[in-house]
Amino acid sequence: MNGLYNTHVKLLAFDFVALSPNPKDQSSFFRNGALLSRAEAVGVVVTRDFKPGRFLRFTIDDGTGCIPCVLWLNQLTSSYFSKRSPTGVRLIADVALKVSSQIQLGVVARVRGRITGYRGMVQITVSDVVLEMDPNAQILHWLDCVRLARKCYNNFSNKGV
Amino acid sequence: MGTSAVSAGALVTLQELNPSSSNFKQGASFRVTGKLQEYNLETAVATIVDEGASLKVDTQYLKLNLRAGSFYQFIGELHIEPDNEAILKARVGRNVDGMDLNLYRQSLQLLRQFQDEQANMFSDTLRK
Repeated sequence: MNGLYNTHVKLLAFDFVALSPNPKDQSSFFRNGALLSRAEAVGVVVTRDFKPGRFLRFTIDDGTGCIPCVLWLNQLTSSYFSKRSPTGVRLIADVALKVSSQIQLGVVARVRGRITGYRGMVQITVSDVVLEMDPNAQILHWLDCVRLARKCYNNFSNKGV
Repeated sequence: MGTSAVSAGALVTLQELNPSSSNFKQGASFRVTGKLQEYNLETAVATIVDEGASLKVDTQYLKLNLRAGSFYQFIGELHIEPDNEAILKARVGRNVDGMDLNLYRQSLQLLRQFQDEQANMFSDTLRK
């Protein structure tokens, strides 16, 4: 296991979509040899597919590419949550529903979550979303991604597995 | 892994969208930023300007209150008309008043340099 595995790595879309699945573990992906499981991205919401009670599937465009995202809205019916406290599950469901209504075409969203594969594509299964109101947020995220890749993430390449 | 069904709006300045540029392609997707110079209510066509260059933007699909003098960013596809004039058919748009445009332009250069760097790094790794 490497040092980036449980970190939300800040990735530009062109870098994110180039991640390759780990054949030994469905929950992890390789970035030039470094093993990742979580990511953070910022972009303009350019597609939105809302299925009430099931999920919100949307795409964010950061200017270098597009990242598909899925926000699950099935907490109240999914067996995955059946052993958790009903109050906690209801709270998660309420927050997810509220966030889903805020994710509209044209807004800038900062998305964090697990990196997952779906129909041959790499996507983010969203755990939290923040709408960015600062017009410079996208630029600052680009600069963060470049700095972190050069100073940190690339140092894990081909030696972190 | 596969690529997204929707094309990313490539980051360009308005100066880079002139007819002699390699970006000047029918249907290409771009993200453009500029100051709203004028807006035609009947046609929903806006004209944005930046550093002496201008671009028409078709905003008919957007729910956006446009104000002359404010800054906007649009993502959409370039449509080149028979007279070689370009118009961006915007899919999304947002107000970006307060954006540091100098930082934005410098960041675009840095991003391009970084993408080239990463492409070279990954191809070197594959060769090893």
